[in-house]
Amino acid sequence: MTCHEARDRLLDAQRDRLTPEARAALQAHLHACAACAHEERAEALLTEALEQRLPPHAAPLALKRRLAAGWPTPAVATPGSRRRWPRYLVPAAAMAALLLVALPLVSRRADERDAGRMVAEAVNDHLRILASQHPLDVESGGMHQVKPWFAGRLDFAPVVRFEGDADFPLRGGAVGYYLDRKAAVFVFGRRLHTISLFVFRADGLPWPSQGLQRVGGTQARVTTSRGFTSVLWRDGELGYALVSDVELADLIRLAERLAPGA
Amino acid sequence: MRRWHSGVTGAYDLDMAWGERADPGRLGREALAYADTLYHLARYLTRSPTDAEDLVQETYARALGAAHQFTPGTNLKAWLFRILRNTFLSQYRHERHNPTVGGLDTVAPTEPAPAQWLRDDLELDRLRKVVGEEIERALMSLSDEARTVILLDLEGLTESEVAAVVGCAVGTVKSRLARARAALREQLRDYAR
Repeated sequence: MTCHEARDRLLDAQRDRLTPEARAALQAHLHACAACAHEERAEALLTEALEQRLPPHAAPLALKRRLAAGWPTPAVATPGSRRRWPRYLVPAAAMAALLLVALPLVSRRADERDAGRMVAEAVNDHLRILASQHPLDVESGGMHQVKPWFAGRLDFAPVVRFEGDADFPLRGGAVGYYLDRKAAVFVFGRRLHTISLFVFRADGLPWPSQGLQRVGGTQARVTTSRGFTSVLWRDGELGYALVSDVELADLIRLAERLAPGA
Repeated sequence: MRRWHSGVTGAYDLDMAWGERADPGRLGREALAYADTLYHLARYLTRSPTDAEDLVQETYARALGAAHQFTPGTNLKAWLFRILRNTFLSQYRHERHNPTVGGLDTVAPTEPAPAQWLRDDLELDRLRKVVGEEIERALMSLSDEARTVILLDLEGLTESEVAAVVGCAVGTVKSRLARARAALREQLRDYAR
């Protein structure tokens, strides 16, 4: 197999479109050719970056409502279409009526899906903190030491309303990522447990609008997933994700101190 | 039965036989479920939230007009994508500046690149650390065609389905996608310099 042939098949291999024989031949080539092996890694990383970090754009709810409520009749009359108008109109009316009924369900499902994605990201980011041997870029000497450390490292200034206390000591901070954007990570402790607070720009994210509960002076989404509890809320231009495996009551107590209006 | 046309004038080119037992209610429900997916592609094609909304709305209007041509059991998402792309080509593209970076007719065929950078782990490191804003910027610097094939591939469409959406041969899709991804990587490399 030549390098050209191998590179032609890299994407097919990623997409599981190769026969076992072709895959084996490609693997043999990759083992022997450092340049093509590099190409394979680069293509895999590019796919991962596109799939996981390219900002998603969800259709605005107003647009979905318009699609359902204002479903127009065909605007273009093609030759011979006059005979087919009744056939256009009947499904159009039925579709519009059904969409009006189905829209709330679709919207609720989309909301759940978006919330699930944001929660999963928060839990994954927390797990990365736990798994890291050096999770903190700056050890805490107090919030007055941690917050200034972020200056120049982020394109926003994180606002944190609680500086830590004996119950929830601030251990330190780090720069991390939340979905497609940089995040300020503040790590608090609760006995032997670690609590991660991610602060990030809130714009463009699919914030859940349903299933919220009052935490402090704001509405937050509280979710338990894979044994971790997360609290998500938005405060102006900033978003917050608080994650830990501590007792739910303890996490809510900390969230209430961090949330606006606390 | 499904017969794709190569024309790009709109949904009415979609020559898909009407299934007499098609359930329009179900079609509508399923079509609306793709609103986010279509809007996502529209945003990256038009670069504008307002234009993307208009494009998606027009896409659904055309889809409704051509609903009798849709065959139940075939790929509704690919069908909607094609209508969206045709609408974009006919109504939006000529009005806009079209970047040339990654233009599918201007990018040289993929050649094995110099061994010097291929062996350099810098690119791999860069790809691991690239953030969403940088990927978006790099993607937006590509031509409409390059962006389209990359996004359709990300949506999980097969090469045959992408070929039906963009109206070209499967082999052309394969080479377009390879060149588009090479152009994207080149852009990301530039950001690292």
